[in-house]
Amino acid sequence: MVPTLGHVAVVVGLGLTVYAAVAFVIAGRGGDPRVAGSAGRAVIGSFFMAAVACVAMVASLLAHDFSVRYVAENNATTTPPFVGAISLWAALEGSILFWTLLATGWASLVLWRHRGRHRSLMPWVGATLATINAFFFAVMTWPGNPFVRMTPVASEGTGPNALLQNHPFMALHPPLLYLGYTGLAVPFAFGVAALVTNRLDEEWLRIVRRWTLVPWVFLTLGITAGAWWSYEVLGWGGYWGWDPVENAALLPWLTATAFVHSAMVAERRGGLRIWTGALVIATFTLTLVGTFLTRSGVVASVHSFTQSAIGPWFLGGIVVALAGALGLLVWRLPGLVGGGRPSGLLSRETAFLFNNVLFLGITFAVLFGTLLPLLVATSSGQTISVGAPWYNAVTVPIFAALLFLMGVGPALPWGRASWVTVRERFTSPMLAAVAVGTAALLLGLREVIPLATLCLAAFVAVILLDEVVRGARARARGRGEGPATATWRLATRNRRRYGGYAVHLGVLVMAVAVAISSGLSIDRTVTLLPGESAAIGPYELTHQELVVEPLADDARVIETRAEVRFAGPQSGTLATALRDYPSSPTAIATPAVRTSLGEDLYVTLLASDATSGAVTLHLFVNPLVAWIWIGGAIVGLGSVFSIWPERRARTVTVEDRQAAAVASVEGA
Amino acid sequence: MRLLRWLLVPIVVLPLAWLLLSGFGRDPREVASPLIGGPAPAWTLTTLDGETLSSADFAGRPYVVNFWASWCGPCVDEHPVLTGTRAELGDDLAMVGVLYQDATADADAFLTRYGDTGYSHVTDPDGRLAIDYGVTGPPETFFVDAAGIVRDRQFGPLTRALMEERLASIGVTP
Amino acid sequence: MRAAGLGGLIALIAIGVVLAVSEADGATPAERTGALAAELRCPDCQGLSVADSQTTAARAIRRQIDEMVASGASDDEVRAHFTARYGDWILLAPSSPLVWLIPFAAVLAGLLALAAWLVRHPARPGVAPAPLTDEQRRRLHEEAEALDA
Repeated sequence: MVPTLGHVAVVVGLGLTVYAAVAFVIAGRGGDPRVAGSAGRAVIGSFFMAAVACVAMVASLLAHDFSVRYVAENNATTTPPFVGAISLWAALEGSILFWTLLATGWASLVLWRHRGRHRSLMPWVGATLATINAFFFAVMTWPGNPFVRMTPVASEGTGPNALLQNHPFMALHPPLLYLGYTGLAVPFAFGVAALVTNRLDEEWLRIVRRWTLVPWVFLTLGITAGAWWSYEVLGWGGYWGWDPVENAALLPWLTATAFVHSAMVAERRGGLRIWTGALVIATFTLTLVGTFLTRSGVVASVHSFTQSAIGPWFLGGIVVALAGALGLLVWRLPGLVGGGRPSGLLSRETAFLFNNVLFLGITFAVLFGTLLPLLVATSSGQTISVGAPWYNAVTVPIFAALLFLMGVGPALPWGRASWVTVRERFTSPMLAAVAVGTAALLLGLREVIPLATLCLAAFVAVILLDEVVRGARARARGRGEGPATATWRLATRNRRRYGGYAVHLGVLVMAVAVAISSGLSIDRTVTLLPGESAAIGPYELTHQELVVEPLADDARVIETRAEVRFAGPQSGTLATALRDYPSSPTAIATPAVRTSLGEDLYVTLLASDATSGAVTLHLFVNPLVAWIWIGGAIVGLGSVFSIWPERRARTVTVEDRQAAAVASVEGA
Repeated sequence: MRLLRWLLVPIVVLPLAWLLLSGFGRDPREVASPLIGGPAPAWTLTTLDGETLSSADFAGRPYVVNFWASWCGPCVDEHPVLTGTRAELGDDLAMVGVLYQDATADADAFLTRYGDTGYSHVTDPDGRLAIDYGVTGPPETFFVDAAGIVRDRQFGPLTRALMEERLASIGVTP
Repeated sequence: MRAAGLGGLIALIAIGVVLAVSEADGATPAERTGALAAELRCPDCQGLSVADSQTTAARAIRRQIDEMVASGASDDEVRAHFTARYGDWILLAPSSPLVWLIPFAAVLAGLLALAAWLVRHPARPGVAPAPLTDEQRRRLHEEAEALDA
């Protein structure tokens, strides 16, 4: 009954979104607000239908209803309720259902938020979003029905994928990531609407700014959470492997970040309409392409599913979305050309435009690397690999250049700058970079990439600090405030700028942490009998005992666990295990990670001997890994600060104006 | 001339669509084998019964090398095909199974459960033969002709139809 | 000050280049094995290198690399040994130089195109307020300072 209800909800959702799409087009052309209103209600209705379907699926999972094939394949009677509930997004059909819930949620939110305003634009926004959502409902009605039944009903299910049961981040990473993916349809919809109504201008950019930044934050946090999760779960000691599924998340993030920057130039100077329009189309298309790659089974990935009928549907969706949006852009092209050139070659605008080229360069490289094996296989039958060594060699230099630009940009003013002022701004940062680099060399750091990153980071950090201090100082002098108050007040009155600085600081922290942790980590493999010890870096580990027993929450899973005592900068006990899940032929490693601000002690169990109690452990000391996640949090907080609405206009005193003017003259 | 800009749409969309479409029907995990057309690797290994078997024992005859494991699901599926082929062709076709990352006891249990194949199986303790054949995961089957040249390779489980097709490449007709 | 900064930067970059180059040759056998293992793909993993993976196949390959390096094989011979068996797929980074050039060529092309676009036509006049001249800047500073008093 419940699954049937879910299926009915999906079909009703399909009907509602198709109706909404048609009605919105009619409203867009005719301008009747009642039709638009009805269409808007239909979109909200589709959100409720998606919610009903999700509840139905979760209920079936919790009730272990094995008549539903998805439940039989992803759930077992011994599956704990928490794992059962989050299995909603564990496999293909369920993840599409979850995606649709979030996509209809965004659509409803956008339409509600702008109800009654932008009357010419919104019907087309609604039409685009409704069409996209209708596509997903259609996929769930035909090739990818999550509520498909199975007869005869099995008495026991396969259980969830072993890798997905090991860690609570399974509850965090997909929702964050999907909120990012689905949210990026909104700026796309606004872009399509602006092209249709021929209003691709600063107004559009102003509206789209927040609607891009919010999903961008989710995408950033989702990618970071994914890296954190794979680090904690997969056991190879790394957090990013350039797997197609990781690349799929990175690609739209890169173009969205490029868009956020060039949109700022376009807002100030006008122009760049084709470029920003193209970026918004590219971002959404890349979310679809990424989803396609991991869901169609066309490329091999840790994440890929077997090929099914869903693949061709997704390909069709990509073609329609890309051809349609691109066609609109080409149609309006003559009216969009021109404008946007910065008045000075040495200006913040120019820095932003160069950063766009670099971001797009990385996007091209990652897309090229991901698709090259497929291209080679198709055209010549040869099989090649494009793996981490290639990606790292190609993207690291470009990222380094971006890092440099991240420092240069804020140091340059909008408009034209003179060489004299610019040269002055760069003296102390350069000296800082030299000082830090020299200090690192003297302390014994010999690896090139960590060294270079530290120098760049010092350069950028000093510029950022300089910016904040100058502004705060000018304000403090003008208003007689203490430094902290001045900084806070200045920041909250210039949220975009200071939020941006915070985001850049977060990126800086992540860059340094990534460079140091990947360049300076150490590892060794040891075999220990109970009582024996081994040393790695500053740590000494002693194997205590080997325990083999079923898991407390799920008796079908047998855990082989090494209990280890460790001493060093952190001390205590840890347990690292191999778990035998009935659904998996190989045992799943559960690494033990002890995190401190300085480094992570990371231990994986490779093998064990039950008779002697001996264990083979892979030990890692990974420096500064925690700062990657901290940096990610700073980026998130900085973005939230940036998006947060500023207080309504209030009386501005002469001193405020003067402080702002001085700050912008001195440093902006 | 004005309409030339519309070419942008097919120029961008069509190559992408073609590329993504070409992936369908193809197993992305399948790796092309560089051994085809070249001499089959030589080996001397121990069978499950403890006897010694070597590739030289197959000189002058076409033979089939099948890599499998007791923990491999598709190996169960192709087991009847292998057994059936052996039953049909008998000594006309030499066949040998190579254990891939597996224990002798588990392999014996598998054969007891699913039936003896009628030909010998060797263990590959260092994984050397698997490396020499470039095996990425079971089941993988190699078809070697009478001159000792590898003529074909099956990635994944064999079906009756695939077996006939591959056997044709080494001149054996069931 | 500026000259010192610039000089220091150049010195650092020089040191960086020297370090990078010195990392490349004169490696010990263990380092060579590690470097080669990082270049080869683990056959039964998803994109992990033989160095990072702990599967049986990865360990078998690492053993073979060890043996070959110990018996005097060159890096190229080790790579050739494995590509003869697995094909180019076993190399995590494609061997064709074209694959390495294409992304950099694309970035270079983009940078040049942007530079050309920036330089070709002057900006539309009167779109933004003219930036302050140095004289105006100085006056503004002075007046701002005066207000402090």
